[in-house]
Amino acid sequence: MSTAEAAAPAHEPGKAREAFRAVTRDVAWVAEAPKPHKLWLVALAISMCAFAIGIYSIYKVVWTGIGVWGNSQTVAWAWDITNFVWWIGIGHAGTLISAVLYLTRQTWRVSINRSAEAMTIFAVMAAGLFPLLHTGRPWFAWWMIPLPNDMGSIWPQFRSPLMWDVFAVSTYLTTSVLFWYMGMVPDLATFRDRCVARGKNVRAIIYGVLCLGWRGSARHWHRYERAYLILAGLATPLVFSVHSVVSFDFATSQNPGWHTTIFPPYFVAGAIYSGFAMVLTLLLPLRYLFNLQHIIKQTHIHAMCRVMMGMGMCVAFSYLTEFFIAWYSGNPFESFVFLNRCFGPFWWVWWLMMFWGNVCIPQFFWSKWIRNHNVIIWILCIFVNIGMWGERFAIIGVSLSRSFLPSNWSYYTPTRYDVGVFVGTIGMFLMLFLLFFRFAPVIAISEVKGASPEAHAGGPSIGGHH
Amino acid sequence: MSAHEDTSKETGSGPVSVPEGGELYGLLAEFDTPGELITAARKVKDAGYTEFDSFSPFPVHGIDTAMGIKRTILPLVIFGGGFCGAMGGLALQWYCNVYSWGWNISGKPTWSIPANIPIAYECGILLAVLTSFFGMWAANKLPQVWHPFFRLERFGRTTDDGFFIGIQASDEKFDQTATKRLLEDAGAIAIDDCHLDPDPARKTMPKWITAFIVASTAFALIPFAIAAKARTSKSSEPHIHIFSDMDFQPKYKSDTAMDLFPDDRANRGEIEGTIARGWLEDDDLFYRGLVPGENGMQWTTGFPTTYPDGEKFVVDEKLLARGQNRFNIYCTPCHGYDGHGQGMVPTRVADSGGNWQARNLIDPVFGIPMIPNGQLFNTISNGFNTMLGYAAQIPQADRWAIVSYVRALQRAQNATIDDVPADQRSSIR
Amino acid sequence: MSALVKSLHPDEKIKAGKLGSSMVKAGIGLAIVFLGLSVILVLARGTAEAGHDSRWARFFFAYLTGWCFAVTVPIGMMWLIVLHFLVRGRWVTAVRRICEAMTGAFLVVWIAGLVFMLPVLFGYTDLYYWSTHDAHNPLLNPILQHKTGWLSPGFFFLRYLLYGAIYIAMAWYFSKKSREQDESGDPKITDTLRKVAGPGMIIYAMVTCMTGFDLMMSLAPKWWSTIYGVTFWGSGCVGAFSALALIVLWIQRSGRLVHSITEEHYHDIGKWMFSFTFFWAYVQFSQFMLQWYGNMPEETVWYKYRMFGDWQWVSIAILVGFWAFPFVFLMSRWTKRIVPSLVFFAVWQLVFHWLDLYWNIMPQYDWYSPSSGLNMGPLSGPLGLHHVAFDPVDITTWFGLIGVLLIGIGVNLKGNLIPVKDPTLGLSLGHEQL
Repeated sequence: MSTAEAAAPAHEPGKAREAFRAVTRDVAWVAEAPKPHKLWLVALAISMCAFAIGIYSIYKVVWTGIGVWGNSQTVAWAWDITNFVWWIGIGHAGTLISAVLYLTRQTWRVSINRSAEAMTIFAVMAAGLFPLLHTGRPWFAWWMIPLPNDMGSIWPQFRSPLMWDVFAVSTYLTTSVLFWYMGMVPDLATFRDRCVARGKNVRAIIYGVLCLGWRGSARHWHRYERAYLILAGLATPLVFSVHSVVSFDFATSQNPGWHTTIFPPYFVAGAIYSGFAMVLTLLLPLRYLFNLQHIIKQTHIHAMCRVMMGMGMCVAFSYLTEFFIAWYSGNPFESFVFLNRCFGPFWWVWWLMMFWGNVCIPQFFWSKWIRNHNVIIWILCIFVNIGMWGERFAIIGVSLSRSFLPSNWSYYTPTRYDVGVFVGTIGMFLMLFLLFFRFAPVIAISEVKGASPEAHAGGPSIGGHH
Repeated sequence: MSAHEDTSKETGSGPVSVPEGGELYGLLAEFDTPGELITAARKVKDAGYTEFDSFSPFPVHGIDTAMGIKRTILPLVIFGGGFCGAMGGLALQWYCNVYSWGWNISGKPTWSIPANIPIAYECGILLAVLTSFFGMWAANKLPQVWHPFFRLERFGRTTDDGFFIGIQASDEKFDQTATKRLLEDAGAIAIDDCHLDPDPARKTMPKWITAFIVASTAFALIPFAIAAKARTSKSSEPHIHIFSDMDFQPKYKSDTAMDLFPDDRANRGEIEGTIARGWLEDDDLFYRGLVPGENGMQWTTGFPTTYPDGEKFVVDEKLLARGQNRFNIYCTPCHGYDGHGQGMVPTRVADSGGNWQARNLIDPVFGIPMIPNGQLFNTISNGFNTMLGYAAQIPQADRWAIVSYVRALQRAQNATIDDVPADQRSSIR
Repeated sequence: MSALVKSLHPDEKIKAGKLGSSMVKAGIGLAIVFLGLSVILVLARGTAEAGHDSRWARFFFAYLTGWCFAVTVPIGMMWLIVLHFLVRGRWVTAVRRICEAMTGAFLVVWIAGLVFMLPVLFGYTDLYYWSTHDAHNPLLNPILQHKTGWLSPGFFFLRYLLYGAIYIAMAWYFSKKSREQDESGDPKITDTLRKVAGPGMIIYAMVTCMTGFDLMMSLAPKWWSTIYGVTFWGSGCVGAFSALALIVLWIQRSGRLVHSITEEHYHDIGKWMFSFTFFWAYVQFSQFMLQWYGNMPEETVWYKYRMFGDWQWVSIAILVGFWAFPFVFLMSRWTKRIVPSLVFFAVWQLVFHWLDLYWNIMPQYDWYSPSSGLNMGPLSGPLGLHHVAFDPVDITTWFGLIGVLLIGIGVNLKGNLIPVKDPTLGLSLGHEQL
């Protein structure tokens, strides 16, 4: 909105260029500061410790077998698949910010899209780990690729939703990386030129190779913008498909609590909801740490809170539909599963995680006062993360623990290795994100400039027919 | 505006060193604002120049039309890529799961398109993404890490705050003074001559880079070469077990040698003459359907009189219901619900072009209604021809229940109008 | 990323004038001629068919299809208005008054719905199977017993009134506030509407979902799908945006708003048509694939009669016509910006939106009544029973209800056709695509 009021500012020589220089300087400072912030180092150390725990747990899981997890015959999918779905969901916010908001011309996205995209990539990496470990023999993972082999005509079974996952998640990772990298190229060129100017030749060569010799040519920009727009257009149906495919893992089965047709859009909404919470969880502290308040503005945080609120409502709406149809269908297993979620042995997952995190928490964001208080927002976002994790666990673990046959019922308790691997992925995610924040252009410099009022400076006066 | 000290050297002002030397490549003019860049670009285009370009830190809105840049055909190429990806995805699934190895999964047809759509969709998107990413760089002729304008120090600011127009000397209309004047009139704030490097050796790529690329490519091919060799050559060595999985376990498998026992066998048979409690099975009638006859034991034509626990054996509706229930579970796959031998198994065999019949239990032509109950019981227990025995699945009492139900079925299926009570015959027609 | 601001062209004709009344006249003409024709066709019909007791059954099924067509247009436009305020949209402002007029049609359409709702209330049982005597037979329909209260004519009618009241109130409120701003120019009104849009969207979502569940899904009372409300809405939005494109063009043809609404706005309407075409395919595929894959008889029965036999050709036609063909062509920038092609696709999508509703509703027309005398209701009996029997009544009632829709829209086309004092109008007029 603010771009509108200053569409054609009075032209003063050098003024616009000064504003552009300031943007470059403020972003490049993050990567050029000779010493990192102390808190950054502390955070990095903590996340590396968590990562180490994860490495050890993974070692135990792979070496001993997934029997060290709490999974059982009944609850065959538990923390591992819950974590997979949760992480994939978190990744969705990045694509949504970079693609969907780009297509819908939400200019506030430019301050956060780069870091959200990075978050997507790291989250998908963390997610991919879980099904891989769940196979029990990760070294046979290549069997999922349709390679000609010496075992006769042995091919993957493409009609299985699990194979769809393989294709969806790997396409998603590829697209996210390419989209992220492509957006970063002009900014890497900025870094290159700054390193040249400051005589840092080694870094200049590295950035120079990475930016592919970008020189800001208008003819290049033209194709670049078209390709970027198309990539955004491709990423949008992709992001819908990825979590839909994940939801198919469950919904194609006949298990009560899993087999319901609203799953695809419902999972997508939940994914965006948890993803935005994670973006805010990460950016609220880092924005202070690296002095980016004037680029990631409070209005942008407002906008993200609103998106979360909307998506939270979509999730709550899906809960409502599910409960209604569980009753309406007259299917006794279906209605039992939903009663069991609320009043069964896992009642606390439903009330304390799902209901509190995904139905109640969004209501807080109605208040403008809360949207202005970042500490409160941060705490609420943590609840959202927990809530969405709880939702996935309620769908996966709790439904499995009470399937058709009462003789099949059981309770599920995680072991230390369930917790360890999960903590490890959080550590890996944070570690990668912190490193990214230190060494890469964390804000899309060229896009911030393009979205600023100065981008129209000196143009022919616009105002039409007065 | 900025919250930080800038550590970099400001290069925006002051005299700029222009590397002199080789032939003139072109002119580079700087403009103050994006708006002025558009105006100037339009002037340059209108003056008839074609080999020129403008440079800016971000895509300037409106520069395309000002410079007369034609819309790229990239979208069409990407659409083609996506289409090929989706079709390729479908073809892959068809080849693997239908053509090369058809496989029955949950009773769905081998070629079930709804289940193939997600992967075709993802493949389509993947190829479209790859096409747009690599297509864009190819169309832009990037990566090109070197460009003559990079020789100008001022040009480094094109990624920061500089707005430039560069006109190449190779343009037909190029004239050093006239072009310079045009740019000045268009509002340039600085104009530089750009010369190529006088040293011809520096125009080509350094040799060590070429050597490095060749060497690393060759190195990267080594694993593929090893795999290719392993695929095509033969070896008498056992497989390499990187991960032993459960291939080697400290245990004896059945029918292997073992030197602990005198017979050197790992198998230990049952001890002769022992019978577990409750497994004596001395009631020939109940357990085997045999009764003493003229020539020793023969098949009974009736039913047992008591169960092993002493309860009286009665052929009643309860027994028939049990028999029907068991029959429907165990017998119908082959013999069919009505016992005519038209179950799902022979039907499927016939569907897939084979020929295998299950015995018709009903029609007297095939003899089953005539055989004694005991023989029927024995057939269920031990099988007959291709039919396997069901002793392991069905307890004796249930086998008798099935016998009773088969008898009832035969009676019902072979019924005539005479079996209907006289006063009700008129109601069925 | 541009943010051009333009003001209204001084020569712009923004008053509706006689536009509304001419639309109402056309609507009345259509409605009288075609609904009259429908009645004649039914009266000329000999006996009841397809397991129904009355010969009016076909008319009511066709009427319900046409009514759903008429109601999805304002439903889709209501969404656009609420979304516009919710996300502080820009481009919509120039066409928003027209959208408001379209949502104003709720009142007329809801009154027209009484044509089938009142019979249902007063004991007509040939439209909704759950209202028949046999549906309450616990041996025949054990699965319906627990919801006889929910699916009872009284409560059903009450819900119909409730949904209508909510829609009409929402449309009236947004329209009234917008026109108030024309007078006062108070920018605070925009802020108020932005605040109201949040809760408005929640209520809207619930009511729309339940409208789909009740009016369409309950035609097959033993079948269910949680996503049904979403597919109903997605298909409806395709129709709504197509209708918007046509109405805006028609208004411009009359010489009004010629400077304000440009190809940029058509491009955006076209984008939404494209998006919802895709979205509809996505949700419809989700519903189909999950039920097909799950293979539970109580669910697959709905698709059984659509995948095999006569109806499979309609299914294929919808797949190709409602999705594949427009999807490929609307992807291009030019199909959305060149008026004749946009008109073509708008009309095309409206026809296929109707066919989609037809495909949702009409297979439930065939009720199976074996010789026992018990009526098994829709989606039962042999496959051969379920013919696609296109009936002239289907088309005539559809045209008649288009007439009703036009009346509903026409009465609201009055005063300014553009929110002249909306603070975002300048941005909307200067709107340009990327």
